[in-house]
Amino acid sequence: MTKYIIRRLLYMIPVLLGVSLIIFVLFNVVSGDPTAVLLGKNATVRQMADLREQLGLNKSLLSQYFDVVKSAFTFDFGYSWATKQEISHMIWQGAYPSLCLSVPAFVISTILSLLISLMVAYYRGKGIDLFVRIICIAGMSISALAYILFFQWFFAYKLGWFEISGFEPEFPAFISYVALPAVIWIVLSIGPDVRFFRTVILDEIYQDYVRTARAKGISEMTILFRHVLRNALIPIITYVVIQIPSLILGALLLENFFSIPGLGGMTLNALNSSDFPVMKAMAVMSSVGYILFGLLADILYTAADPRIKFK
Amino acid sequence: MKTNTLWKDAFKRLSNDKLALVALVIVCFYFLIAILSSLGFVASGWSQEVGASNLAPSMNHFFGTDIFGRSVLLKVIRGTQIAMSVGVAASIIAIPIGVILGALAGYFGGWVDDIITWFYTTFSSVPNIMLLISITLILGKGIFAVYIALGATSWVTLCRLIRGEVMKHKEREYVQAAGAIGGGHLRKLFRHILPNVSHIIIINTSMQFQIAIKSEVILSYLGLGVQGEPSWGTMIDDAKLELVRGVWWQLAGATLAMFLILLAFNILGDALRDALDPKLKGK
Amino acid sequence: MTSLPLLSVRDLVVEFQTGEGIVRAVNNVSFDIPQGKTIGIVGESGSGKSVTSLAVMGLLQKPAGKIPQGQILFEGQDLLKYNEDQMRKIRGNQISMIFQEPMTSLNPVFKVGEQIAEALRIHKNLSKKEAWEKAVHLMNQVGIPHPEISAHKFPHEMSGGQKQRVMIAMAISCEPKLLIADEPTTALDVTIQKQVLELLYKLQQEYRMSMMFITHDLGVIGDIADDVVVMYRSNVVEKNHASNIFMSAQHPYTKGLLACRPKLGANPKRLLTVSDFMTEDGQEKIVPSERVQVFDKESVIEKDEKVLLEVKDLVTQFPIKGGLFGRTVDHFKAVNGVSFQLKKGKTLGLVGESGCGKTTLGRTILRLVEPASGNIIYDGKDITHVYHEELRQLRRKMQIIFQDPYSSLNPRMTISDILTEPLNIHKIGGSRAEKLDMARELIEKVGLKSNQMSRYPHEFSGGQRQRICIARALMLKPEFVICDESVSALDVSIQAQVLNLLLDLQQEFGLTYVFISHDLSVVNFIADEVGVMYAGKIIEMDKASRIYKNATQEYTRSLLSAIPKGQTKQAPTLTV
Repeated sequence: MTKYIIRRLLYMIPVLLGVSLIIFVLFNVVSGDPTAVLLGKNATVRQMADLREQLGLNKSLLSQYFDVVKSAFTFDFGYSWATKQEISHMIWQGAYPSLCLSVPAFVISTILSLLISLMVAYYRGKGIDLFVRIICIAGMSISALAYILFFQWFFAYKLGWFEISGFEPEFPAFISYVALPAVIWIVLSIGPDVRFFRTVILDEIYQDYVRTARAKGISEMTILFRHVLRNALIPIITYVVIQIPSLILGALLLENFFSIPGLGGMTLNALNSSDFPVMKAMAVMSSVGYILFGLLADILYTAADPRIKFK
Repeated sequence: MKTNTLWKDAFKRLSNDKLALVALVIVCFYFLIAILSSLGFVASGWSQEVGASNLAPSMNHFFGTDIFGRSVLLKVIRGTQIAMSVGVAASIIAIPIGVILGALAGYFGGWVDDIITWFYTTFSSVPNIMLLISITLILGKGIFAVYIALGATSWVTLCRLIRGEVMKHKEREYVQAAGAIGGGHLRKLFRHILPNVSHIIIINTSMQFQIAIKSEVILSYLGLGVQGEPSWGTMIDDAKLELVRGVWWQLAGATLAMFLILLAFNILGDALRDALDPKLKGK
Repeated sequence: MTSLPLLSVRDLVVEFQTGEGIVRAVNNVSFDIPQGKTIGIVGESGSGKSVTSLAVMGLLQKPAGKIPQGQILFEGQDLLKYNEDQMRKIRGNQISMIFQEPMTSLNPVFKVGEQIAEALRIHKNLSKKEAWEKAVHLMNQVGIPHPEISAHKFPHEMSGGQKQRVMIAMAISCEPKLLIADEPTTALDVTIQKQVLELLYKLQQEYRMSMMFITHDLGVIGDIADDVVVMYRSNVVEKNHASNIFMSAQHPYTKGLLACRPKLGANPKRLLTVSDFMTEDGQEKIVPSERVQVFDKESVIEKDEKVLLEVKDLVTQFPIKGGLFGRTVDHFKAVNGVSFQLKKGKTLGLVGESGCGKTTLGRTILRLVEPASGNIIYDGKDITHVYHEELRQLRRKMQIIFQDPYSSLNPRMTISDILTEPLNIHKIGGSRAEKLDMARELIEKVGLKSNQMSRYPHEFSGGQRQRICIARALMLKPEFVICDESVSALDVSIQAQVLNLLLDLQQEFGLTYVFISHDLSVVNFIADEVGVMYAGKIIEMDKASRIYKNATQEYTRSLLSAIPKGQTKQAPTLTV
């Protein structure tokens, strides 16, 4: 087990190097010279050269690549081109509003989806199962943008139940700002979640050991909640944990629409102002998050499944 | 039993599924619209003024008109062309890369597998949305960048699936039998294994297609997609400001068009999996 | 009729709704299980025997399976009238069941002790601690070593035989009145099978249970059952005392089933098959006396043939990965120094239990797996280190027939493609029409019709598929064929046909076989010489006709004694 974890930790190194390489190639090689964009049309050759020096673009490609790798460990991403602020500081500030929205939304939607999928697994093949499946497929076929626009217009603007946009950091106050985007988040994620959980649970229901449990005289409810769920949880945990890093990034579109000053909104602002360092920082950050939580998912998977410990 | 091939068998099962047939017809219809539109037979006059500004839907203009008095219906049709082209382009890029890399990794194992696994793990470690917006930002706005970005993100799933499936089939006795009669690696891989995993490509493509359509809409909404032409994403972007003034038909038109094709692909994807994936038979 | 039978199945009909309409899996089946007796239900795959047992348990797959007619009376009460709650109180408590596949029948994420305790807690209202203690006690009773420790194990930490013992402990935990055992030993090695059968017999006596023992193997039935019910194509064709079944079977199908299984001693030259006793529509046939005549292999005058294959000190090993970086830390020697000689036209049988290295040995000889050391000399030439074109040429002479007829044919190729592929690879036979002619000729030799060649493998039955595999192996006109468990996956009646076919083909083409099997009686029938494998070595080798009488190794003797004899050990009982 410890050996496995160490091996997985070591495997992070080549992946991290690879991720840095992708980001480096995109932002440092393909993107070309950003100074012309930054200084505008009237820039002199001299100004551009100075700026290149300042941005560290005169360094060799290898040392530029090394800077990207280093930033994955130090979180030192330099300064934003647009706001001139230190990027690590911006990230630190943006994380809180993002988490205010994403954590409750994520927890509620995961629990809700799990309950719904257990229910449809229990009534599999019956009317309610079909009904939920149709709702899921139909729900997944509507664009996220349409949900956001409609909900915002209808519940916030028309009915006035929620704030249309904005954010306040204090505890009870932020609820009225994040409630609607959270609801939209839940609506958006229930479809794919229920579909995945249902498939996993049904995969287990047709296993031989379930037949054994029935032959013992165990009730369907106990079989579902004790035998089946315990096995189905193994892939479900992985699926859920893998999503956690996206919580920090927040929901790009939701934050943008509801003017929540989180990391998602920050990324989109950077996108609109071609703020490469911030984009790059967000790419590095989110990738590191993915790799770490991927590792965590793997370890939990190993812990949850007694069969794997032997390897 | 008169049916001969597994594909025919699968098609028979599929054709018993009325819902899946309807979905198939919808998909074909969208493709037809997209092709006709790209050849200039329909919606070529989308940019002309056909009436007053922001007319509500009526018998003359089924989806109403936009702020410049252009027909929303024609814009929706034009948007269909963009959406379908994105799906096709992403598939054209993703299928060869995913299938070849996945097959090589699964079949040869060892260091080949190590390298290819590293390669796709790396790609899947950058969150898709970050990769998408980064690529489009850097390659410059426009539909070409969207093609590349979607191609670059959608091969990963296919590669992983093909790798796993090829690994499984490699151990099957029919592949060993092919070796025992003197067949080489190429024969074992291309003549024997790949035809047996080809259903994965079809199922996965029907899933990836809708992801591509959804992503294009979001990228276009963010202003990264197609420029100077209507797309469902830019229409929804317009609607963002119009909705407050009660102009809902751009949003409705684009959403409805998108809903139908995504629904069709969802249903078709499920039906294909049931029909082609023997593992799930009888569920 | 002395007392009420414990279980009485009356005119039971079970139907399944499938894509092709309604299929009747069980047709008007009736039988009784008296108190404290064991009824054996025998039949081949698809005969409806397992479906019958699931119907008794109320575990038929819903909604596909339906019981339109019949009664299942348990202590006089019709179980079919019980609702789900009532049935649940019966299941695991009054009637319990053991399944065929011990590998998948236990929940992988719970300790085995917990799984045994679970039924006790439901049905006997024991506390967690009491149930656990009882579980440990039961594990001791079913012969699991160190039960206190073993109870904490997960299923994957146990061997197949131990898992089946856990299943048995679980089934008897609530002291049921009826135990249903559905092929409980089929997935186990023959020595383990013997132990499990003895255990079941002992427990049945101790607990005074009734038992419904389902199997495809008449041999096993003899060791355990009082009465036997023979099922064939959804119907009961014969009900009789076990001793009567073996001494004087009535129905031609039962007779065929008894005759088609090769015996440990002498057999006829070709095995009798069910079709010798019965026509397609179930009419009895007279078996010609020359078919029954026992054939003595020793009577054949030995021609002095040359040695075709010689294996010297062959070692095949697989790396064991370990350490931080998954480096190879050690090797597992699957084949560990094997030597033998095989003369042209002869058959060497290799026998051993799972994991003994017999399959790896076969694949190494064919060079499908690389040997680590030793030599393979074929037809006077050392082929241990030939590669590329030379190896390809070798494939024309050496062929293999695999175990599983379902996975050894490419499902996406037609039979004609499968058969002509070897010709294409080796550029034999000119035009496609010529190649097809060659394929057609061979497909008729193996007993299939040449107009079926445009079909796909899934349209054929298991036995037919194995014939196609044989035809494919023979397309290149090889001299030497390895049969790797080639009849193990087949029903006994089909197995006899395929064995006969292999012998016919050997005679016609002068083939040399290495016949690998876990089944001593099959090897005894087909082989001239037998090698017994254990832990990667051939520990004993002798003429087939001799090894059964004069085995020198303890292991060989234990293998021999574990084979079900196909006769009863109890005196006939009169209950009906």
